[in-house]
Amino acid sequence: MRDIAGTVACIDGNTFMVSDASGDVQSSPSTPVGLFAADTRFLSRWRLTVNGECMTALSVDDSQYFEVTFFAVPGAAVDYVEADVSAIRRRRIGPDLTESLTIFNYGERDMTLDVRLEVAADFADIFEIKFDIGDKSGEHYTHVGPNELRLGYRRATYRREVVVSASEPAEFDPGGLRFAVRLRPGQQWSTRLQAVMLALRPDGVDLRSALRALRPDDSTLPASVQAWVAAAPTLDTESVGLQQVYRRSLVDLAALRFAPLSLGGASVPAAGLPWFMTLFGRDSLLTCLQTLPITPSLTPPTLRILGSLQGTRTDDVLEEDPGRILHELRYGESAAFEEQPHSPYYGTVDASPLFVVLLDEYERWSGDTALVMELEQEARAALAWIDLYADLTSTGYVWYQRRNRATGLDNQCWKDSWDSISYADGRLPGFPRATCETQGYAYDAKIRGARLARTFWGDTAYAERLESEAAALYDRFNRDFWLEDRGFYALALDHDGTPVDSLSSNIGHLLWSGIVPPERAARVVEHLMGPALFSGWGVRTFAEGQRRYNPLGYHNGTVWPFDNSFIAWGLRRYGFGNEAARIAEGILSAATYFEGRLPEAFGGFDRDTTRFPIRYPTAGSPQAWSSGACMLLIRTMLGINPHEDHLAVDPALPSTFGRIALLDIPGRWGKRDAFARQRPDQR
Amino acid sequence: MSETSAFFERLTVAGQDPRFSKVCGSVRFDIRDDGNVEQWRLDIDHGRMRVTRSDAPATTVIQVSAQVAEAMARGEVNGLAAITRGEIMVDGDLALALRIGRLFPREAGRLQREDPDSGT
Repeated sequence: MRDIAGTVACIDGNTFMVSDASGDVQSSPSTPVGLFAADTRFLSRWRLTVNGECMTALSVDDSQYFEVTFFAVPGAAVDYVEADVSAIRRRRIGPDLTESLTIFNYGERDMTLDVRLEVAADFADIFEIKFDIGDKSGEHYTHVGPNELRLGYRRATYRREVVVSASEPAEFDPGGLRFAVRLRPGQQWSTRLQAVMLALRPDGVDLRSALRALRPDDSTLPASVQAWVAAAPTLDTESVGLQQVYRRSLVDLAALRFAPLSLGGASVPAAGLPWFMTLFGRDSLLTCLQTLPITPSLTPPTLRILGSLQGTRTDDVLEEDPGRILHELRYGESAAFEEQPHSPYYGTVDASPLFVVLLDEYERWSGDTALVMELEQEARAALAWIDLYADLTSTGYVWYQRRNRATGLDNQCWKDSWDSISYADGRLPGFPRATCETQGYAYDAKIRGARLARTFWGDTAYAERLESEAAALYDRFNRDFWLEDRGFYALALDHDGTPVDSLSSNIGHLLWSGIVPPERAARVVEHLMGPALFSGWGVRTFAEGQRRYNPLGYHNGTVWPFDNSFIAWGLRRYGFGNEAARIAEGILSAATYFEGRLPEAFGGFDRDTTRFPIRYPTAGSPQAWSSGACMLLIRTMLGINPHEDHLAVDPALPSTFGRIALLDIPGRWGKRDAFARQRPDQR
Repeated sequence: MSETSAFFERLTVAGQDPRFSKVCGSVRFDIRDDGNVEQWRLDIDHGRMRVTRSDAPATTVIQVSAQVAEAMARGEVNGLAAITRGEIMVDGDLALALRIGRLFPREAGRLQREDPDSGT
C-alpha cells in the first residue's frame, strides 16, 4: 500500500509498518514511518545493507494489505546495477513483524556477503511524531543476547519492548545484527527475521495477552480476507474503474479492522493510516452507516464498544459526561500518562446522536431486534445527553465549548481543525458554537429514537416526547439557521445566536437528516451543485468566495469523499437523483486516479482546470470512511432502502455507468439483488 | 479505615446498581501492600452485587498496589490510562473490569495544564 509519497505500508488493524520502497525504515522524529502498534513506534530504524550498500527496489508487490514483498538489489538507484546479487524481502504484519529475507547469487563467482540489518526503536508516541516533540521522560535500554536484540523503554510502570531475532545464526550488537553469508554461484540463502512487540506490565505479562489469545492463528489471515470479500455482495458492472474501487474499498475495510483491548476479540474499523489507527466514535459510526448494505458485521461490535465506553461521569479533562459517546481512544504513552486526554477522549458532539441513528438504521436493515434491546439503556443515555449536557446556552441546540483548555479540541464537529468554522468574511465565531449538521443529527436521532421506543422498547410516552422535541427542534432550526436572503443554512450559530453566514458542505448533511422542509430543498441543492461548492469531482467542504476558502485547506475547501457520500444520500432522500448521480460519478471517477483508493480528502480545484484530482499533501490513506464512501455511493445510485421486510430498489445512475448490479445484499429479507440499467433514452 | 475499605463497604450496602442490570460475573481485587494482599471479591448477577473478603477464584482479577487502590477510591484514577501504563493489572475479562471501573468515583474538575498545542 503506497500513499505518503514513495512509501509502502503493511497493515493489520492498528498494527502497521510504513517503509520506503526498498523496505527500509529510517525515520525522523516527525515522519510517521516505522513499525507501529497501539499508537507507539516499535521500530524507528530497519535498514538492510549488503556489503555496506543499501538496497534499491526493482519492484514491490503489495497486493495483500498484511503482506508486502520487495525485490531489491544492492546499490543506489542512480548507478548501473550489476545484479549478481539480489534479495527478496517478504514482510508480514500480524501481532508481530516477520520478514523473510532471501539473498541470491546469480553471478559466476563465489561471494562472501556482509548482510547487515540496522535496528533502532525510539518508542515514540504517535502524538510525539505528529507534534514533533523529541524529548521523552523515560529511559531506553538495550540488551544484546546471543540470539536476540532486545530494545526497551521504561517509564515508571510503563514498559514497551521489541525483541528482534533471526532463524539463522547472526551476530547481534546494540545497533542491529549481521550475517556472514557465503554463496556459491546459483546458490541462495534465507533467514526469517522477527520483531516481537511487547506492552509489558511490571510482572512481565503483556497487557494485551488475553486479547491476543483470542486472535486466530496468523496462517488463517489470507483465508479470512477471502471470506470477508466472499461474504460481501458481488458488484457486477461493465465499469472496470468501479469494480476496482469497490474491491479496493472492501479489502481496505478488512485491513483497518482491529480488536480493541476491551471488546473480547471482536473487530471494529480503525479510522485511517497513519494518524488515526484507532477507534474514533464519529468515524466508526459513519463508516458503519455507509457500509450497512455491504459489510453489516462491522456495526454490532462498533455499537457495543462505543456503548461500553459511553460516558458515565463528568470529567473536564476527558470532556466526559453521562451518556456521551467517545471521540478517540488511544493506548500510547501520552494517553497512558494522561498528557493527552485520549483514554478515552469524549470531545465530540456528533457521536452521541449518530450512535442512535446507526442503531436504528442497522435494525431497519438487519431486523436484529436483540441488539436494539441490548443497547436500550445506552441509546436512551445518548439521547438524554443531547438535552442535558449539550445545550450549553439553554436554547435547544447542541453546542460545544471545550472544557479541557490544554489539550481539548476547539471544534468538536467533524470539521475539527481550529479554523474550520468561520464567517464568510473570515472572522472566527466565539464559543460555544452550534454547527448546523449536528442539529440535523440530533433531530434524526430523536425521530429514530422515537421509532425504537415505540416499536421495541414499549415506551409510547417516551416516543411521543421525542417526536415533539424533534418537531420543536425542526421549527426552531428552520427559523434560526435559515438565511432567507442567501437561500441556504448558516454553517453554525455564534455564541450569541448570530448565524455564521458562510456557505459550506455541512448543509448537504441536513438533507440526509431530513431537517430541511421540502420547499427549501431545491434552493439548498442549487448551492450544493453550484460552482462555488461543486468542483466537478465533488462538493467542497467550504465554498469558493468565502474569505478562508483554499482548495488545499483541510476543512476549508478540499473535497472529502465521505462528506460527499452523505450529501448524495441526502439528495436521494429529497428526490434529487440526478444530482446524487453527479456526485457519485465525480467521486468514483476521482478514485480511479488513486488506484481505486479514495484518500481522506483531495484538493478542491476545479475539475475542468486540473482534469485530475489533486492530492492533498497529508491526507490519510486508506481511510475507513473514504472506503465506506464508495459503498454508500453505490447504495445511492441503486436507491436501495429497507422497506418493511423487503429491499426497495430505485436506481438513478449517472450516464458513465451503463449497468450496475449488486448481488446478494444481506438483510432482514435474506439476500436480494439490486439491478440498475441506463435507460436507452438517457444515454 | 482506609478509603479503599470504605469504598467496598459502601458497595456492600448499596447492593444493587441499575447500570449493571445486564452484567454477570465476578471480579476480585488483589490489593498489595508490602507483601500483604488484601482481597475483595465482587459478584454481580444482573445488577445485584455482593461484596465479600474472599480469595476464591474470579472470572476477572485486578491487581493494584494499596497506594493506587486508595487513589481509585478517592476518584483520582483514569482506569484505562492506568491499565495502559501498567499500574492496574487485569487478568480475565477486561471489558468487565472497565465496567466495574465505573463504580469508582471520579473527581470532576481535575487539574488542567495550559498548553497551546491542542487536538488531533
